[in-house]
Amino acid sequence: MTQLILFNVFNGLVVGAFYALMALGLSLILNLTGVINFAHGGFLALGAYIAYTLLPYVGFWGALVIAPVLTALVGIVVERVLIRRLYGRDPLYSLLLTFGLAFIFEDGTRFIWGAQSVPYQIPASLTTALSPSLFFLTGYRVFMVVLVAAAVAGLFLLLTRTRLGMRIRAGTLDLETVSVLGVNVRILRNLNFGLGIYLAGLAGVLAAGMLGLQPTIGTSLIMPSFVAIIVGGLGSLPGTLLGGILIGVASGVTTVFFPSATEAVMYVMMGIVLLVLPRGLLGEEGRF
Amino acid sequence: MKKPSTPTAMTRRTVIKAAAAAGAALLAPPIIKARGEEPIKIGLDNPLTGTYAALGKNELVGAQLAIEQINAKGGILGRQVQLLVEDSTSGEAGTAVQKARKLIERDQVNFLVGNVNSALALAMAGVSNEKGVLHIVPGGHTDGITGSSCHWNVFRVCNTTTMEANAVSSALLKNIGKKWYYITPDYAFGHTLQEGLEKAAAKGGGTKVGGDLTPLGTTDFSSYLIKAQSANPDVIMFLVQGDDMINALKQAVQFGLDKRLHLGGAQQELESLLGLPPEARIGTWVFEWYWKQPDVPHVKEFVAAIKKKTGKVPTARTWFGHASIWSCALAANQAKSLNALKMAKALGGMKLPPEVGLMPNEAYFHEKTHQLITTLYVGNAQAKGSEPEDLFNVTQLVKGADAAASPEEAGCKMTWPSAT
Repeated sequence: MTQLILFNVFNGLVVGAFYALMALGLSLILNLTGVINFAHGGFLALGAYIAYTLLPYVGFWGALVIAPVLTALVGIVVERVLIRRLYGRDPLYSLLLTFGLAFIFEDGTRFIWGAQSVPYQIPASLTTALSPSLFFLTGYRVFMVVLVAAAVAGLFLLLTRTRLGMRIRAGTLDLETVSVLGVNVRILRNLNFGLGIYLAGLAGVLAAGMLGLQPTIGTSLIMPSFVAIIVGGLGSLPGTLLGGILIGVASGVTTVFFPSATEAVMYVMMGIVLLVLPRGLLGEEGRF
Repeated sequence: MKKPSTPTAMTRRTVIKAAAAAGAALLAPPIIKARGEEPIKIGLDNPLTGTYAALGKNELVGAQLAIEQINAKGGILGRQVQLLVEDSTSGEAGTAVQKARKLIERDQVNFLVGNVNSALALAMAGVSNEKGVLHIVPGGHTDGITGSSCHWNVFRVCNTTTMEANAVSSALLKNIGKKWYYITPDYAFGHTLQEGLEKAAAKGGGTKVGGDLTPLGTTDFSSYLIKAQSANPDVIMFLVQGDDMINALKQAVQFGLDKRLHLGGAQQELESLLGLPPEARIGTWVFEWYWKQPDVPHVKEFVAAIKKKTGKVPTARTWFGHASIWSCALAANQAKSLNALKMAKALGGMKLPPEVGLMPNEAYFHEKTHQLITTLYVGNAQAKGSEPEDLFNVTQLVKGADAAASPEEAGCKMTWPSAT
């Protein structure tokens, strides 16, 4: 029993790291622009399908590098053409827009690549398990955690050490002042959105290796990401990371005792956090 | 330049407004079509989006082919047939019911067809029974549809979960092992399938060493697999379907579980096998129809006709859609009437002609339960066959009559309306 729980804690960390990757992108966009991007799952699916299309030409590693970048470019265009027009309006507008976009993405991928799931091959070198008893820690999953850690570290370096990152953080706190100080807010928001979508694309490529690749691949992953943000605290990127890992572990451990509540436990956690700490675990005061 | 207004907080009022607008959009009047001679209408209320979109679309293709064939042969009672298609969604019973009502009340369809999802099929059967419309369920498997919740107007083409369980269990018990662990989707279909398997296993000396109910749409099965493995079964029975099946099997094989124990189950579909990487196309399963049947007449023509439409071979789902629509036409033409009661009487006990049945043994609707008694195909999934889409190796044909529960066992008590 103890071993079973321990295994599920480990496994929950892996799953949670993945939720966190997706949630970080969502969180970035939400923090700077106040846009709740319901189409995030759609971008994730797009990233996965672009990788699937590129796979025969550039291989797994090539697709892993290129597909998220192409997804980010689509994101930048979408921001420029559609989302930008709704900044400063009631948040309901952008919510409705991205909600609609999510449907368009889902049906668009279905139209282009078909409703039928497609197999996404990962290199054989990544499929072996670390040890026979820890069979669930396959090379692919370990690689995924490493990649998530690298992406998170990269993101924090970018935000704390670069001019762009500082502007994004400053803009998150007070966009008007940043604008008055001469920073081009339009470009800032645009790049920030692209960065968020890059993370969605990366999550998509990784998901395609573990899950069946079908047009709804993003839809099923978006709710855990929202929960991760709310549990971790709106406005806090470390909080989002923590939130993702927490719900991953919680649902893993729940499987041991009450498997049919594996999904529900996330929402129970969210409810408790909202009641006790309405700002979330690491949420900052005064925002949202 | 316009000064950007400050963002206002979202209020309850705006949310309610948005919801009302969304509701109103659903009620918008349809585009009125020009009318010639009134065609006969068949309403298909099946998933086109969500988890079961691929299955629903294949049923649609089969249905469309049947409509073309029926119209080419003179239609139903000499009138042309028209297919009206609605997206029921994959899991929202409310939407499925609303669409069924729309098809029956506004479009005045003569037949209702649907649904892939068992729970949605049951909900729709409630509506069709209330309205007295002949209803064919193409691909929802839970026992109740032709069992405890059977209705005089509801017929089912795909197998019951009990039939699938009985068909596959002897092969698993004999060839693989007796200790089974279940990974079961947590809704009507999964519950009755597991129940059927437990009963069938018990008869052959099999035992359940554990099982988990998983929510529909689960993406990560790792925690269930860890648990299943620790129970040390001979077989992990994957009863989940659609995308869930792909996710579960793909992860189990990545974990190397296929090298330690048998990964199998009951119902398996070509759609799922096509979505899996070759190394995960493994295990003992039951198919409900298979496109490679060289000795069965008319199958080759059916496969060619579907290939011409889609470029792909038909799956069991395509066959369900095709047989469902043909059942409507056969019922009306046999009854020489569009009266639902007369058609239901005609369809009960009816044998499907070979070009519709497309099976080794004659398929027929059971007179008392309205369940189609088919042939079931037990065998093994294979990474590669003689052709790219040949992913299943049939080892045993099971007669539906041997696998089906009797009307008494199924708990079907049908009440007929008094003839008017």
